[in-house]
Amino acid sequence: MSENNIILSVKDLEVKFKVRDRVLTAIRNISLDFEQGKTVAIVGESGSGKSVFTKTFTGMLDINGEVTNGSIMFEGQDLAKIKKDKEWEKIRGAKIATVFQDPMTSLNPVRTIGYQISEVIIKHQKKSKSEAKKLAIELMEKVGIHDAANRYDEYPFQYSGGMRQRIVIAIALACHPKILICDEPTTALDVTIQAQIINLIKDLSKEYGFTTIYITHDLGVVANVADMVAVMYAGQIIEYGTVEEVFYDPRHPYTWGLLASLPQLGVKGSELYSIHGTPPSLFEKINGDAFALRSEYAMQIDFEEEPPLFYVTDTHFAKTWLLDERAPKVEPPKIIQNLHERLLATTDKGGRYHG
Amino acid sequence: MTTSDNKFTFVKLDDKASEHIAAPKYSYWNSVFKKFFSSKVAIFLLIVLAAMVAMSLIHPFISGYSPLDAPNINNPSTWYNPPSAQLWFGTDNVGNSLFDAIWVGTRNSLLIALTATAISTVIGVIVGMFWGYSKRMDAIMLNVYNVVANIPYLLLVIVLMYVLGRGIWQMIFSLSCTSWLSTAYFIRVQVMIIRDREYNLASECLGTPRTKVIFHNIFPYLISVIMTSLARDIPSFISYEVFLTYVGNGLSEKDASLGRMIQKYSAYMTSSPYLFWIPVAFSAIISVSIYVVGQTLADASDPRTHMV
Amino acid sequence: MKNYILSRIIKSIIALFVVLSIVIVMLFTLIPRVNIFKNDTSIQRMKGDEKTSYMYNKWDELGYLDFITFNEMCYASSDDVKACVSGDTKEAADILQEYENNGYIIEQFSDGSYYGYYEYNPLEILGNFYSHFIQIDHPNKIEDPDNPDLERKYYIGSDQNGVPAVMCSGCEYKYQIYFDGSFPFIHQNIISLDFGTSYPTKLGIDTMNVIADGQGNAKMEEQTFPTGSTQNSPLLQHSCRYKPTSTLDRMDTTKFTDNYANCDTQYDSPSMISTSLTFGLISLFIAYLIAIPAGIYMARKKGKLADKIGIVYINFLSAVPSLAFIFFVKQIGQGFGLPDKFPHYGFGDIRSYILPIIILALLSTSSLMMWTRRYMIDQSNSDYVKFARAKGLSEGEIFNRHILKNAIIPIVNQIPVSIVMTISGSVITETVFAIPGMGKMLPDSINMLNNNMVITLTFIFTGLSVFAVLVGDLLMTVIDPRIKLTEKGE
Repeated sequence: MSENNIILSVKDLEVKFKVRDRVLTAIRNISLDFEQGKTVAIVGESGSGKSVFTKTFTGMLDINGEVTNGSIMFEGQDLAKIKKDKEWEKIRGAKIATVFQDPMTSLNPVRTIGYQISEVIIKHQKKSKSEAKKLAIELMEKVGIHDAANRYDEYPFQYSGGMRQRIVIAIALACHPKILICDEPTTALDVTIQAQIINLIKDLSKEYGFTTIYITHDLGVVANVADMVAVMYAGQIIEYGTVEEVFYDPRHPYTWGLLASLPQLGVKGSELYSIHGTPPSLFEKINGDAFALRSEYAMQIDFEEEPPLFYVTDTHFAKTWLLDERAPKVEPPKIIQNLHERLLATTDKGGRYHG
Repeated sequence: MTTSDNKFTFVKLDDKASEHIAAPKYSYWNSVFKKFFSSKVAIFLLIVLAAMVAMSLIHPFISGYSPLDAPNINNPSTWYNPPSAQLWFGTDNVGNSLFDAIWVGTRNSLLIALTATAISTVIGVIVGMFWGYSKRMDAIMLNVYNVVANIPYLLLVIVLMYVLGRGIWQMIFSLSCTSWLSTAYFIRVQVMIIRDREYNLASECLGTPRTKVIFHNIFPYLISVIMTSLARDIPSFISYEVFLTYVGNGLSEKDASLGRMIQKYSAYMTSSPYLFWIPVAFSAIISVSIYVVGQTLADASDPRTHMV
Repeated sequence: MKNYILSRIIKSIIALFVVLSIVIVMLFTLIPRVNIFKNDTSIQRMKGDEKTSYMYNKWDELGYLDFITFNEMCYASSDDVKACVSGDTKEAADILQEYENNGYIIEQFSDGSYYGYYEYNPLEILGNFYSHFIQIDHPNKIEDPDNPDLERKYYIGSDQNGVPAVMCSGCEYKYQIYFDGSFPFIHQNIISLDFGTSYPTKLGIDTMNVIADGQGNAKMEEQTFPTGSTQNSPLLQHSCRYKPTSTLDRMDTTKFTDNYANCDTQYDSPSMISTSLTFGLISLFIAYLIAIPAGIYMARKKGKLADKIGIVYINFLSAVPSLAFIFFVKQIGQGFGLPDKFPHYGFGDIRSYILPIIILALLSTSSLMMWTRRYMIDQSNSDYVKFARAKGLSEGEIFNRHILKNAIIPIVNQIPVSIVMTISGSVITETVFAIPGMGKMLPDSINMLNNNMVITLTFIFTGLSVFAVLVGDLLMTVIDPRIKLTEKGE
């Protein structure tokens, strides 16, 4: 990882929420660098803190949450220190854009599509109304809306779900952001549309050169689009590496479990693999390895000391005592060996599932 | 690294250990009470309300007051006595103690408001739940509702009172005659929102009878909604009684009520203002107490407020 | 879209008549008909037959029953009127028997003469009511035996000010369609609704006129009459109706060249309906002016001090009985030297208006504020707001450009209803301040047992309310693109 290529650098990030008079630590000391132009996928089960993590980049935490420690360096500025909405407005949309899960509700139902695109162009690029309209129509064509000039004045309800998500992407890209955060951008869409949207984002990222951060629990999507994968568990990144490394050579038992539970790998007639138990309560202080209670490979030390992030390769790290030289050698479960080929084989180039 | 090597041995896992529920302990009724009693204003008004209800139930038996009696009518020295240590609220134009009168009035006003609310809530909730749940009933009820909702409520109550004659039970009937429809409509909308939730669809797929779904799955969810409507209805019925009687379309001379007293004593607004303002104040205090206590209870019984 | 509007209108009209019919039947059947004389001063001086006949004639007039004296029976039904009228003949007995068979109840006056009455059942009451409910004026309407040469035609003429008008000869009204300077500027006399006459107050005047005509003293105005004479007169020439030749007097012939000499009088004070409307509209305007910005501000400052104060205000207003609130504000107002009753200074003085308008406005602010705040907050929790924030818009921009436009839709939908609510809702305020408006009219006419008036007011209040809901819904189809565009295709 060369230092000068890094666009966003997170150090020792901690985020806490107040819930019913109690404090929940949603992000526990995350440090992660994002490289310019790369696609990073953040995977993990619900409640692992994926969304909260990326929300800190745009200051969009819920009202009862706050960054309590650490820094988020972006273009020489520490985003964790920003308190005023005025300053965030210069970041949001202009430099770091977000695409949300549900395109059905992301657009204002009583404003025209055109208005909602050109509004952001006028705001961030200081263009006139007519210039903004021209740019907006170009953008609409770019994201694949036919007859864009005529559809400029239509309302969201006149668009299908897939088309709305294209519009949402067009709005997000209207100001050529440096980073695009996609918070489960395809979960609410039909499978066939999902692939189109994923490919659209992929193509646009090549063209514009922005960094994409995917939040998803769809590993099929990850295998297709991501350069780097970060696996999150209980508010921490427990494994980080290139997509090949994480899929070929996963090191953390949680990553094994996660990969093993992919429905695509299920064998007809046999029970689908699942990780038993539930994640630990983030209301309480976690001692040792957060995954220990659910791990088949838990050791005494896992209950006593938190593992450091062990080095695997220059780009691959994992947070498990199994990588300590004193630990017994273990092989990952059979079901996930040669995973990457199998996964790519079950999804064609467009990310369409056969399985 | 100081950790000794024997820590690096696998341990047997207790399967149950990882299954415990992560979130803080939660009990619905505990949260309701905790939330309710966290509001000092609500507690205070609840005490005020309880005291007033108790007084209005007990005191009339002690005083034996009747609006038609005037034992001191021939004794002018007992007329228009302003409030004093003996006569807390003073006496009226015929020498009756206002303190005795007001509890009878409060009792009747509360009787009217509470009975009318009870009727319209019970009918409204039951009809509303079936209305929201059955699509066939919806089509019929909507048309009925559209006709009734178009009539100004006050007009309807006034006309009904006029037609039926003056009296407590006539007033209760007039007030609750159509008000249950708006409660039912309110409930209908809420039921429709929950009706299509997955757990109810699942329940129906498993063959649960509709009435059971309505009363076991949907009704509990409606508690806070019903509370809200109670908190609105009771004060508004008190207000209607006061108003109707004041303009002369409400109760007659033989029934004491807050509205009746306000109407009767409005003639003495300048000469003996206490006669007029004490019943006005009573009606305001009761209404505000019920409203605030009801709203706080409604808030407290909404599980969504238990989050933060 | 067209179908939708049409079916909405039809449904509204049906709703209106269903309500009206129910009220009519209830008034006629549930209130003992003898009660209506309670407040009639003229009956108190009557005794015996005079009283009986007065009562039956009144009931007949008001539509309770059909009253008929023996002589009338003879003239109406007998072949041998002479034999019948002389009484004690077979013919007379037959006629009485015939009426009795037809459901009439036959009774005797104290002098022994017979009379009969037939009590209408609810359906007949409704039938009678609706059969004369809509009056359409036409050139053959007037039947005047003394004026056989009356022309029967419509023509374009001009009124006393030279403004063109559609006029008629042979109709009841001379001016069929005319223009003047008062709202809505174009007026008609072709179709009118007949609710019967007011009784026992405002005796003999059409209930519609009681509500719609001016009040107070006659207002004199210099005007030119068709004869060319210019006089100071309170007559409203646009309202002139046909007067039978036999009743025409000198006064009439100095002014008019034809029989249309029965004109309404102009008064110096506005009518009940326009009084209520004035109060309603001004106070509503003020209420919106206060409540909408206040509600928006509360939503923006949710949970902060301003919001909390606003919530206390809303709760206070919704909980306190409106009567108590009105007296409370009135008491404060009196401290500032404002009158406690409207007639104290009357129509001409602005001081008469201040307190009622403040009260009416404040009374409607609470629910308006509550709903505005609620809609704004509901909208601000939606996903598109989150996305707008992610776009980098400021909170102000999000509120003004996105949330407001969504939240305003249900508010606009409510505007027509709130206008009507202030008219009928001002019952309380008008009664307390003794304002001569429609609101006060309802309790007054009930206390006077003026049934026709109650029916008329029911019709107007319900009609306005039905109409308002309709207008509100139609307004929605205009301002909400989702409804406007999806319904258009139908």
